Amino acid sequence: MDDVVDPIGDEVAPASGPEGPAEVSARFERDAMQYLDQLYGAAMRMTRNPADAEDLVQETYLKAFAAFSSFTEGTNLKAWLFRILTNTYINAYRKKQRQPYQSGTDGLSDWELHEVESHTSRGLRSAEAEALDRLADVDVVEALAKVPEDFRMAVYYADVEGFSYKEIAEIMDTPVGTVMSRLHRGRKLLRELLEDYAIERGLITAAVGADGGDES
Amino acid sequence: MSCGNPHATPCSDVLDLVYEFLDGEVDDEMRGRIAQHLDECGPCLQQYGLEQAVKALVHRSCGCDVAPESLRVQIVARIRQVSITYYSREQ
Repeated sequence: MDDVVDPIGDEVAPASGPEGPAEVSARFERDAMQYLDQLYGAAMRMTRNPADAEDLVQETYLKAFAAFSSFTEGTNLKAWLFRILTNTYINAYRKKQRQPYQSGTDGLSDWELHEVESHTSRGLRSAEAEALDRLADVDVVEALAKVPEDFRMAVYYADVEGFSYKEIAEIMDTPVGTVMSRLHRGRKLLRELLEDYAIERGLITAAVGADGGDES
Repeated sequence: MSCGNPHATPCSDVLDLVYEFLDGEVDDEMRGRIAQHLDECGPCLQQYGLEQAVKALVHRSCGCDVAPESLRVQIVARIRQVSITYYSREQ
């Protein structure tokens, strides 16, 4: 037995204290399983295929359960699970996946960013916003999948999960400033990709993007 | 980008903070200043509108995944199995 003795006494029990394993697993099922769809969604954005996403989520839950006794009840369980998902992905999946876009993209070249900046710099913004809104979900999912991983996940956590910058920083184990820079770059890249899809689908004319670029 | 009119908060400051504003990461005072600027400045409002549209689009399109029921069943089964194994060892 390697139980840590609680110096305060019986009143404040450790998380796994008087609970038997059956109670712990019941509590885990009650509290943690509600995030299954959300973790699966994030895993889909990371791995970009359902089979790997399922494996990743399963491994995440098993790791989380093994560590659940060390999790302090009342703290942010959802962010904690996403943190484990991220670590599991980095350690086990990222290495073996063939990635069309490499991670470690904070050093995206100025040239690439300039391309994004100059893509739209004037005119028809409202029309453009409306055109983007008419894009099919599948195009948006595909566009996001093309954004480099670190940027993609920052955007996903902020826009889909509604995590705060501080929570994203914890999940991605990075400073808040880096989260902000990933969001800036990710959103600019995504917007350019979405505009390309909108042009391709005939929702906006190519002239809107091209003229904007010439004017900058 | 600017509408050319003078503002209490310059366009460049507003555009620098457009994502933080959108994400609810600015304090109340700055939120008020940016909101006031957006009321006064068409070009900044359009830029904000576009960023808001992209954020809403990602939320709408990329948050629809539902995990297969078989995955839920499998995870719960494995957790219970781990739990029972642990329990038997402890007895």
